[in-house]
Amino acid sequence: MTTQSKFDLPQGTLDLLILRVVALRPVHGYAIAQRIQQISKEALQVQQGSLYPALHRLENKKFLVAEWGPSETGREAKFYRLTTKGRTQLKNETESWARLIEVVGLILQHPQGETT
Amino acid sequence: MNLLQRLLRRARMEKELDDELRFHFESQVADKIQAGTSEAEARRTTRLEFGGLDQIKEDCRESRGTQWLASIAQDLRFGSRILAKSPGFSFTAILVLALGIGVSTLAFSLYNLIALQTIPVRDAATLVSIQRRSPENNAPGIPYASIAYYRDNARSLSAVMATMSVAPMVLNHEEQRINPSFVSSNYFIELGASATAGRLFDPAHESSSGAAPVAVLSFRFWQREFDSDPSVIGKTIYLTGKPVNVIGVTSQAFANLGTENPDVWLPLLQYAYFFEGSKALDDPQFDENILMWGHLAPGVSPSRAEHELLALTGQLRKLYPAVIWDHERILVTPGAHFFSFEDGMPVLAFAALLVLLILVVACANLGGLLLARGVRRRREIQLRIDLGARRSRVLRQLLTESLLLGLLGSMAALPLSYIVLRLTLVYANAPAWMSALPDWRVLIFTAAMGFLAALFFGMLPTLQIVLQKKERTLWHQVVVCVQVGASCVLLIVSGLLVRATLHTLYTDPGFGYEQVLSLNPGLSDHGYTPSTAESYLDQLRSRLRTVPGVISVSMAQNPPLVNTNVMIQGFHVDGRLIKTYPNWVGPEFFETMGIPLLRGRYMHAGETHVVVLSQSLARKRWPTEDPIGKEWSTGKDTVVGIVGNTRAMELNNSDATEIYYSLSAKSLPRMSVLIRTAGAPDGLSPTLQQIAGGIDPKLFPTITPLKAGFSKSIGQIEQVATIISLLGSIAIFLAIIGLLGLVTYAVSQRTKEIAIRLALGANRMEIFLTVLRRFAWPVLAGLVTGVALTAGLSQILRRGLYGISGLDPISYLGAITLLIAILATAALLPIRKALQIDIARILHSD
Repeated sequence: MTTQSKFDLPQGTLDLLILRVVALRPVHGYAIAQRIQQISKEALQVQQGSLYPALHRLENKKFLVAEWGPSETGREAKFYRLTTKGRTQLKNETESWARLIEVVGLILQHPQGETT
Repeated sequence: MNLLQRLLRRARMEKELDDELRFHFESQVADKIQAGTSEAEARRTTRLEFGGLDQIKEDCRESRGTQWLASIAQDLRFGSRILAKSPGFSFTAILVLALGIGVSTLAFSLYNLIALQTIPVRDAATLVSIQRRSPENNAPGIPYASIAYYRDNARSLSAVMATMSVAPMVLNHEEQRINPSFVSSNYFIELGASATAGRLFDPAHESSSGAAPVAVLSFRFWQREFDSDPSVIGKTIYLTGKPVNVIGVTSQAFANLGTENPDVWLPLLQYAYFFEGSKALDDPQFDENILMWGHLAPGVSPSRAEHELLALTGQLRKLYPAVIWDHERILVTPGAHFFSFEDGMPVLAFAALLVLLILVVACANLGGLLLARGVRRRREIQLRIDLGARRSRVLRQLLTESLLLGLLGSMAALPLSYIVLRLTLVYANAPAWMSALPDWRVLIFTAAMGFLAALFFGMLPTLQIVLQKKERTLWHQVVVCVQVGASCVLLIVSGLLVRATLHTLYTDPGFGYEQVLSLNPGLSDHGYTPSTAESYLDQLRSRLRTVPGVISVSMAQNPPLVNTNVMIQGFHVDGRLIKTYPNWVGPEFFETMGIPLLRGRYMHAGETHVVVLSQSLARKRWPTEDPIGKEWSTGKDTVVGIVGNTRAMELNNSDATEIYYSLSAKSLPRMSVLIRTAGAPDGLSPTLQQIAGGIDPKLFPTITPLKAGFSKSIGQIEQVATIISLLGSIAIFLAIIGLLGLVTYAVSQRTKEIAIRLALGANRMEIFLTVLRRFAWPVLAGLVTGVALTAGLSQILRRGLYGISGLDPISYLGAITLLIAILATAALLPIRKALQIDIARILHSD
């Protein structure tokens, strides 16, 4: 079980969502999960089991850097921030995702694509 | 952050990971409480939502990219604990590996020492050895006149050296003989050698034949003969009766070029001083034992030097037309190696094959052992998989354990091969610079062997354990098959070689050697011409015949078993190459040596262009016809007689293809005289020396009892036999260990079945046979493969086998019987144990 959702999240999509959320301002892991849940109107529930490995993976790829700082509750938390490399990655990924949606939509909506 | 930093900061990162997850947890709990849940309930549900915290952490570590390294460290720690827990298994496994790897390390170390390592001389990289070749000729030496010409004209060589080895010389009028080496005066300077005492040769002093005669002693000779006394410098010693002044001693680490280990070095230009009348340096055709060395000029490649020297050879051809061969080529090869394998490739490949075979046997046997142990570890592994460990993770853990074993095996192999190599070097009286200490090449080789062995023996049994295959698998049978097959090849080959050796030792060499002495007056060295040689030899023989106790006197160019260099002539007959051992002999030779005449007649005195063949050679050349009266090869010589086969030149020569030529005037200066005595010939040497010296006082003949040559040859053969027996014993040991492991494995898999059968009242013998039967097919397949492989190999082996066939039934049957006996014995132990089991306990255990 990676992500509890109403539908399966395609491979690599979580990484893109994380990059998008982090792009606005530095956030900690819990906030990322909350934000994705919130924005998706509860359709996506990110589990810790897939969130943290993804965060560490992105950090390892130098798309993110992390710093410890005080959270809104006053406790120390690990805040993730997008790097220049991560910003480029986000841009590229967003574009290819949009193109993918367009293309897949085209095929799905095409009457001849249907099987009888 | 690089890998190293991340590793070093592991502890901190672990704590951070922990903190991060805890923060998430606490935040989630706090949110739930805020939403109205009780704290206990909030914690409970959050914990449920989190799932396996350790799993998350593990995934995080994994995605961080350092996990593999960290887990290897962890696996290594765990692996060492596991190995320490079963010391018996670990010890056996490491011993098996150490033997297998040790043998290959030893072989590689030897190869490294003599062929890869450069000897410690100045500018070793530019030091070259220069030889000439032609399609027909293959002589290492170059006439001194040619060397001098190359030295004066070659621009691609910055320096040219010449060395010349000769027969041992008499020291101080005593019977003691020492090994001299004549070298050009720049020899020591060009090699960058330093003196322990006194000075070494210097072109400024030793540059003419008229300079004061001097000698440089080797460090060992100085120790042995003069107790390292520095006052020996300036003293006079006598070599073949000629006084020379000792000017220095080389350093202990001095590396002489070539394979010889001389006691004393003499200036090549003074050669004629020691061998009066010698034309060695003047005669442009004299090329015996004079070797050429050089240093390449800066930036010159060997092939460029070859081109230049070849062009110079063209000019030499005009100077000395008779000296240069047709289609002569010049070879410039790296000279700073102790030995270069030019013709030894097949032997080397064969040795490498045998050594690898031992490694394969060791690995296969270890595979068996690991399989057997895997059964005992099955529960542990199952538990780890049940607890959620991924199969790949368990696989990696088991492979790490194998690698650990391989590493330990390599580490144990190093001292083992060091000790044996050290003993070998001391025994062989190797030069001091040859160190048994492994260098980087040996270390890398050993580590690589350990790694390969670990992969080989670790991979498949590990897979089987992880995949939890309980059934008899193909792999299991393959292990048995490989093990039995490889052991079989090793045992048969050892058997063949040992049997051939014994055969060499205990069969008649075909001639009488006990009461024969060889006397080499060294006429050609002292500038004798055919006619002066003839009159000297006539006088010598007639005087020797008058000595009481002497029965017969004759002559031969190659006295049997005396020379270390054996002459071989090849003849092409109908497209086949016949290898022969030529000799130039006087008519009484056969009588003196006790070689029987089988057909025809011996050669007569003064008769030329007739040959006598050994029976075996005659049969090879003319299998169906009568050879008497036929023309031999070129048509110049007529066959007049057939004599018995001998192993005169090489004791382990299986072909016995001797050809005896009648004497020609040209061959007379190279003759040795053979003397057969009625009783033991030992005390006769001083008399003979006196007679030879009485005719020409400048000669110091070399007198060798053939018996001494025989013992020397036997000694070498015995050494070979010892080495082979040792390898054979290692093979047997490995076979026992491996088969024991496999049978234990098979039995432990069937303990329950055995218990049930026993409970039902089965006969113990029946059970024993049932277990053994499991091995029948793979063992049979292994035996057949092994026998077939060896039969194929025996074609290569044939060269080294004297007097026995490559398909010698005793060796084959012996090896097969031994293997089956080992298998049965190996089976007895675990099966006995299985039969004594507590039936009730086994049946209740599941």
